[in-house]
Amino acid sequence: MSPQHPVERYFSNSDIPDETLDHLLREARQKLEPRMRVIRRSEAAVGITKSPYGPLLIAVGPAGLLMVHYLNTQSMQRGIAMLRLKFDPIEDAQAAEQIGDQIRRFAAGERDALEYKSDLSLVTGDFQRRALQRLMEVPFGAVITYHALAATIGAPSAQRAVGNAMATNPIPIYVPCHRVVRSDGIIGHYGGGTQCKVELLRTEGFAIGQNLRLPAQAVCGHRVTHIFCRPDCSAARRANPDKTLIFATAESARHAGLRACKLCHPQ
Amino acid sequence: MMANPGLKLPPPFEEAIAPYERELMRFMVRMTGNHDDATELFQEMCLRAYKAYPRLEDFSEIRAWLYRIATNLGRNRARDNARRSRVIVDAGASYREPASDQIGAQQDVAAVRTLIEALPEKQRQALTMRKLGGLEYDQIAAALGCSIEGARANVSQALKKLKAEWSQL
Repeated sequence: MSPQHPVERYFSNSDIPDETLDHLLREARQKLEPRMRVIRRSEAAVGITKSPYGPLLIAVGPAGLLMVHYLNTQSMQRGIAMLRLKFDPIEDAQAAEQIGDQIRRFAAGERDALEYKSDLSLVTGDFQRRALQRLMEVPFGAVITYHALAATIGAPSAQRAVGNAMATNPIPIYVPCHRVVRSDGIIGHYGGGTQCKVELLRTEGFAIGQNLRLPAQAVCGHRVTHIFCRPDCSAARRANPDKTLIFATAESARHAGLRACKLCHPQ
Repeated sequence: MMANPGLKLPPPFEEAIAPYERELMRFMVRMTGNHDDATELFQEMCLRAYKAYPRLEDFSEIRAWLYRIATNLGRNRARDNARRSRVIVDAGASYREPASDQIGAQQDVAAVRTLIEALPEKQRQALTMRKLGGLEYDQIAAALGCSIEGARANVSQALKKLKAEWSQL
């Protein structure tokens, strides 16, 4: 009997030399290169930054800011998994710091601090995209109700769907989903936690108390006539609530380009 | 630049597969028996793996995951070839077996190869991964989508069958 069965010998004997493999790999990589270029995802710079709202996971793509992810309330893994579906993440602490710096200035009350361009590439649904785009028109110091935001995108009874769209907003703070509140005046939930929403709204001038309600002294602004009133003004009561924004102060309404009502003279 | 201690990103795709490229190429040469097909298959594997890479969550599984993709592609290719009833070109034509001074060794090698090709699909893949790819049984199980015992059984049955058929030649 031979020391080794031919079958065993086949497996031990017939190794392919490394040079051959390397040659084949070079050849394959060369042909692969142009094919990969077609399907390659864009890179996104990813980092963590500290903010008054807790640590944030930040992702910046070639066309703008892609993601602000609250790490206090949401898992980092989920954020990265969501990002990876469309982008190849690259660690870049500097890019995250740049965004973090803007957010910290914003939290300190600088209303134009959030100047980085937003990129809604991580938004998957058309409805959500429309809701978020409309939301970006709500100015600093103002809030809109879920119902009214639904009405602006032509779906006046879709307030629940708008709520879901806000809950999965990839770029909170920049796309200001904290400016969406319940019709009954309670501020509602927030992805970064309710306390975070309170802080953000206080930054914008709303004196939110323990009851989590909008303050009574807020003024109502009409999105179409660009006039703002006291909430008890007869004109304000007749106005369509779907066309109304609630401003923290007369000052913030003026800043957004509205003029005061000549009937109730809001201050 | 200070790295964030909390941030854990997956490695870039090329970096992730680099340690396994050579053994995968070896595996593909074995599987296809032909250099051109192996490089073609390798490209297909990279493209498919890159597309699916975002859905890979457990990076300790990447080796088995790549073998699984390679195996599936190899299986599809074999099926397509069978459907087109293409004549299988002699595997030895483009792949040179290592020289041996023993007379008859070349024929032995060719004969064993023929026998391996005649094995049932799963046994052949398990055997190739174990004996030529050098994978552990749990990795084979992950790649084939069967239990570890199943992988072990497939390999041992394949070897047994090979030896039995060899003695009948």
